[in-house]
Amino acid sequence: MSYHCPVCNKVSSSALDLARHIIGRGDKVHRDWIKSKGFKYSELLTLQFKSFGGEGYRALSEVLEKETKVED
Amino acid sequence: MSEYSVIGKRVHRVDGPEKVTGSAKYTFDLVLPGMLYGKVLRSPHPHAKILKIDTRKAKRLVGVKAVVTGKDTLGHKQGIWRRFPELCDEEILCREKVRYIGDPVAAVAAIDEDTAEEALDLIDVEYEPLPAVFDPLEAIKEDAPQVHDGIELNININRHIEWGDVDEAFKKCDHIREDQFKCSSQAHVCMETHDAVVSYDYGGKMTVWTSTQSSYYIQRLMADMTGLREGDIRVIKPPTGGGFGSKFELDSAQFCAAILSMKLCKPVKIVLSREEEFTATKRRTPMYYFLKLGAKKDGTLLAKEARVITEGGAYTAMGATALYLTGFFSSFPYKYPNYRYDGYRVYTNTAVTSAMRGFGAPQSTFVGESQLDMMAEDLGIDPIEIRRKNGMTPNYEVPGQAFIQSCGLHQCLDKIEEHVKERGKLPPNHGIGVSAYGFMSGGIFNWFDTPYAFSAAVVRINIDGKVDLFTGACDIGQGSDTTLSMICAEELGVKLEDIRIHAADTGICPPDLGAWGSRETLMNGNAVKRAAAECKRQLLEFAAAKMAPNIAYDFDIKDRWVHLVDRPERGVSYFDIVKEAIRGKDGNAIMGRGHYTPHRKGMISPAYSFGVQAAEVAVDTETGRYKLVNVTTAHESGTVINPVGIEGQLEGAIMMAGGYGFCEDQPMDEGKILNPSIADYKLIRSLDMPETDILEIDTYEPEGPFGAKEAGEGLTNPTAGAIGNAVYKAVGVRINDLPITPEKVLKALKEKEKKKK
Amino acid sequence: MKKELKLKVNGQPYDIFVKPKTLLVEALRDHLALTGTKRGCNSSSCGACTIMLNGMAVKSCSILALQANGAEIVTIEGLAKGTELSPLQKAFLDHGSYQCGFCTAGMLMATTALLTENPKPTKQEIKEGIDGNICRCTGYNSIIRAVTAVVKGEYKEAK
Repeated sequence: MSYHCPVCNKVSSSALDLARHIIGRGDKVHRDWIKSKGFKYSELLTLQFKSFGGEGYRALSEVLEKETKVED
Repeated sequence: MSEYSVIGKRVHRVDGPEKVTGSAKYTFDLVLPGMLYGKVLRSPHPHAKILKIDTRKAKRLVGVKAVVTGKDTLGHKQGIWRRFPELCDEEILCREKVRYIGDPVAAVAAIDEDTAEEALDLIDVEYEPLPAVFDPLEAIKEDAPQVHDGIELNININRHIEWGDVDEAFKKCDHIREDQFKCSSQAHVCMETHDAVVSYDYGGKMTVWTSTQSSYYIQRLMADMTGLREGDIRVIKPPTGGGFGSKFELDSAQFCAAILSMKLCKPVKIVLSREEEFTATKRRTPMYYFLKLGAKKDGTLLAKEARVITEGGAYTAMGATALYLTGFFSSFPYKYPNYRYDGYRVYTNTAVTSAMRGFGAPQSTFVGESQLDMMAEDLGIDPIEIRRKNGMTPNYEVPGQAFIQSCGLHQCLDKIEEHVKERGKLPPNHGIGVSAYGFMSGGIFNWFDTPYAFSAAVVRINIDGKVDLFTGACDIGQGSDTTLSMICAEELGVKLEDIRIHAADTGICPPDLGAWGSRETLMNGNAVKRAAAECKRQLLEFAAAKMAPNIAYDFDIKDRWVHLVDRPERGVSYFDIVKEAIRGKDGNAIMGRGHYTPHRKGMISPAYSFGVQAAEVAVDTETGRYKLVNVTTAHESGTVINPVGIEGQLEGAIMMAGGYGFCEDQPMDEGKILNPSIADYKLIRSLDMPETDILEIDTYEPEGPFGAKEAGEGLTNPTAGAIGNAVYKAVGVRINDLPITPEKVLKALKEKEKKKK
Repeated sequence: MKKELKLKVNGQPYDIFVKPKTLLVEALRDHLALTGTKRGCNSSSCGACTIMLNGMAVKSCSILALQANGAEIVTIEGLAKGTELSPLQKAFLDHGSYQCGFCTAGMLMATTALLTENPKPTKQEIKEGIDGNICRCTGYNSIIRAVTAVVKGEYKEAK
């Protein structure tokens, strides 16, 4: 099982890891994708740097779990 | 014969005689015929639109030869993270907007410095000041002023590292600590300020003499910014008066001198003043650190989570690397089974923060080692014991990140434990604090996007046996010229005085990333060793033919003696073999090339060095003042190539890192640095310098030349943490923000008193 | 308006004309091309420009060139006798008391002046002697070791 970045095709082993990649990359194309899913990039980031526990990634990872999973 | 005949010996530096007689010629000393002198006009505003620049009056001043602004440039933006165009954000000569006090807006070339200075006053710049933001915690708010258009929350870059299941692991911990820290900025204070002489000629070729840590980076970035071809730009690094991380980016002295020179086809020299050096060059990255650490009762560390928000200043520079490395080294030097790091670099309207010796690791080591001592105290465990329980060991893999081969951390801990015991019972208000650290031997990452090998060298042997060594390595004082000459001599089997090194001149040396990330001993060392080995191979072919032993013997060269390995008394002179080999090769000189690019070494570095430091302080509880009594370091850096060099690196690191913990700071008001002079910027002088003892631990790094690894920046990591822990041991107050000044200590002592009552 | 300045530097008499605002360090470096003396701050706080003026250590950015009229000056270029290095220069080489080398001229002049004035300084006196000089590379201790070795007589003066 793997997860492929819908923007740059980077392969991750979990949806959470892919969420970290997409937020972490943070360039315009990745930000646009986040926006297209109804999230605000700045809100995800704010959530992430205001608390311990990886909160900012979770909501995004749920979407990624559904949309980017590839059965190997 | 002993194992090594050159390396490990106490030798004079190859640049020694020039440096102790004042005959070494720095960029600062260069004067070319017809040379003009340049000065840079800088923004007085932290954030403003440039409405108009009127240079007419300045141009009319007698003696002024040219005035340039952003309009005279191609308008390109540059940055050292070339692979990521959005991170190349610095124009150097601003065209529309200035983003910090000190951002360049114009430059002048005149017949002398006084005239250039006078001309600056005649340039009329009309600004429209904009709201500015100085603190990263303010800058990430929704309604904060935007430093760069279109960058949400002013977040320049964010970096994330994670392994294991951190959230699950915290549930299994017996004790969890959450702590906040603040790491201050620090100025490099190179004794030679940034400077450059640039000569562009009518033939379209440019020569740059400059005080730099990477002549190749300057060549490439200058090509990006001027539109010249890389090969038309020759960058030469004369002896350089210090770098410490401040001199491997294209700076205003280099770029403005180049633009002026291209306009005039005359050499132009720009030397930054000490005030410019403090306010308008890069500085150490200040960081807000939030740490969560979980452990079992017995001191086993199960999980760590680090959140970092760094003050980026106006541009990206090398700050992006500092952001990544502080996150990676936050896990050092311990085996965390579960680890998460979230780092954010935030644009602010302040002077740009970037690389400085230790590159993010002094910050992470200060906060990590402080918190680890707190954790040990909470659990009732000895600070050395908790480090021993969790410390890295040889052949450890940092999950998904790095593979550590040699590691002498535990021997270092043993030595420091002995040292602390030897000091015995301390006088009142004395305390010894301990701090452990590790660091990389050069970075593997290629965000610069170079197609070349990270390091390369060429060795050429002359008819009389003298060896020319060509390398792109940059000696900025740390001694790479000496270390590489020693490696070359050892490998080739000649004496140190047989080597003449030609370094950091892009016209004759192979491209090389230069001096940063403690990379030169390992990476350049390997390249030099391979180039020398190639020459030796060619010589030994002739030796074998000449000596024609009756069975298949191995040949080698040592101390200029070409001999049979198993029967060293049978041999011939190196000088004879060289003569014959050159004649035998149809007059073709003996040349060897070598390069080093790391392969399959993880994501960070090919090798890591480790150490433990103990700092002893004596606190005056009346005033909060304290004295650094002694700093003892047990460290391992693989095989020691140049022992005098290592001592110098270690003691010098204590002056700089001790200063980071003890006194160095850059207070600001509305983006203006308040202490831009050596009189006001406090650093450790001889009277404050502690006694320094070194406990050398033997290790061997399989990836390094002759088993060597870094011994430069890592030594800057532990000291601030050791001082913090020592102050706590001495008088029971914990200071979480750097530097640990007498005022902070006194205030904490008073609060402690109050609580007692 | 330039004024006449007469100086003896490293035993050599010079007669030059300088502006009244010219600093001694500028006269030495720019007029006499004695670039061994460095300039690190121009505010007499780093010590890189230290020279010996009539036998005493002076920061050459802290005085005007014309104030040194008639003085005898020694700079880093004047320490060696011919090709033979001075005891302190040799000790600096042996102890690795320099790295980037930019403070070295100032350090050597400050310590040479110290030993001229006080041939047997204590460690504390050596530290005080270089407290006005910043070295960002070495951490001072190797410089103190070199001076101590000279004080102990481990290096002989060139004849």
